[in-house]
Amino acid sequence: MNAKLRLFLIENAVVILFILLIAFAIPVSRLPGKFLLQEILMRLGRNTFLVLALILPIMAGMGLNFGMVLGAMAGQMGLIFITDWGIVGIPGLLLAVILSLPISIVLGWVCGSIMNLAKGREMVTGFILAFFMNGLYMLIVLYAMGSLIPMMNSELLLSRGYGIRNVVGLDGVRQCLDNLIPLHVMGLKIPVFNYLIIAGVALLIIWFRKTKIGQDMRAVGQDRAVSGASGIPVERTRILAIMISTVLAGIGQVIFLQNLGTINTTSSHEQIGMFSIAALLIGGASVTKASIPNVIVGVILFHLLFLVSPMAGKNLIGSGMLGEYFRQFVSYGVIALALVLYEWKRVTQENASRATLRGGAAPSAAKGGAA
Amino acid sequence: MTSRSLIQRSCALLGLVALSAFLFYIGKGHTLMVDTNAVTVDGKEFASAETVNVSIDGREPESMGRAERILVPVGGPRHTITIEVVSGGDQKLEQRISVPTFMDTALISIPAILGGAPRQHWVTRFVAPPSEDAPAEKMQTEGETTGVPATVAPVAPAAPKP
Repeated sequence: MNAKLRLFLIENAVVILFILLIAFAIPVSRLPGKFLLQEILMRLGRNTFLVLALILPIMAGMGLNFGMVLGAMAGQMGLIFITDWGIVGIPGLLLAVILSLPISIVLGWVCGSIMNLAKGREMVTGFILAFFMNGLYMLIVLYAMGSLIPMMNSELLLSRGYGIRNVVGLDGVRQCLDNLIPLHVMGLKIPVFNYLIIAGVALLIIWFRKTKIGQDMRAVGQDRAVSGASGIPVERTRILAIMISTVLAGIGQVIFLQNLGTINTTSSHEQIGMFSIAALLIGGASVTKASIPNVIVGVILFHLLFLVSPMAGKNLIGSGMLGEYFRQFVSYGVIALALVLYEWKRVTQENASRATLRGGAAPSAAKGGAA
Repeated sequence: MTSRSLIQRSCALLGLVALSAFLFYIGKGHTLMVDTNAVTVDGKEFASAETVNVSIDGREPESMGRAERILVPVGGPRHTITIEVVSGGDQKLEQRISVPTFMDTALISIPAILGGAPRQHWVTRFVAPPSEDAPAEKMQTEGETTGVPATVAPVAPAAPKP
């Protein structure tokens, strides 16, 4: 029983830590419950899609896809184009998604191919690749748009005549998904259509896992050598996982930005990867295992902490900025914590396996091991 | 790649392009400049009623006097305009108007619609004159320049009698 409890605590260390942290921070923040509930309902509709985009690469054994930022860039480009052309409402959002698709697919293919060259180091490769692609994105947005790529709306351009302004207002598509099926329950606005989309993607992922390609991805995730020997095209499967993730990230970014109503041209995409990965890890996922409940729990816990930490910091120490720093600390810290826990579990499991082979008793903590 | 899969992928690509064109058409945003200035069409003058309530696509009606303009942002090519004459007559009519896809700002002439002018004079392209050419007394609202419709000549509102 003691070993089981210990195993449970080790497996869910991050989730338990965050629940304790939030349980402490909510009363300190003195924020009304209705406000928190409304914000969480809205943020669930806004961010869950982006976090769902991370599941398939984890399934394919490629870890946390820091390269999802590439998809976010594609989504932003689609939104910039529809704003330039003056396409509004749901048709505008659909067009932005369609425009983002080819860019996402190409970037996903590039990302997947590079990750195939750096097997075992996919996360750091994706992270650095996002920085590299960010430079390319800046080149397109701040130079090519308006000079090489004709823009119809001069108000979007910088005063020098080319390059997109730092902030692009999405007045034509602002919250049009959120308000498509209006539902108010006890004064709380519920973005029903967003939830329907998220449910659709979640069902699609569940279905995808059972398909031939889905099974291949799981096999590749468990053991590349065995999968390759059994005839699964390992590299192609891995590229496919990253491409689907990038495409989903592009669509997720469109959903995310339509809720905010503005694009920060140079920085909206930058922290999407970090925040989505942090949310997934807080939900109890690891580098090798992630599920849809992890996504939902993670988005709720992460954004709850996001909401309460500035006010908690202000009420506790008298400075709201401390809460802001704490938010940054939390998002980076949780990723570090999850990686350390993963590595620790892996080493413990290896030691346990070695001890078993030598004929010694395996330590009880190691039984959980890496999932 | 087999020829069958090539055909399938080409069809999917063409379908996406067609869908994009359709979305562009139905989602193109316009600014409707609803105008109650009197207009002259083929030598016949159409003047607006004293006060009218104008509603676009079932939105909250806006009350407009003579020689006024309001801006209404809309999406898509087809819209319904409801005009209710509040004073200077007792008339309520609902008409469907179409805005060409590449007309960013369309001037909707209320007198032309109320007076039964030919349909082509209901919606005209708004062309803003260079700001230095626009006389100050013709400015309708602050920060907005008046424009002359491409096909309809506006009649300057009569000077108020002392």
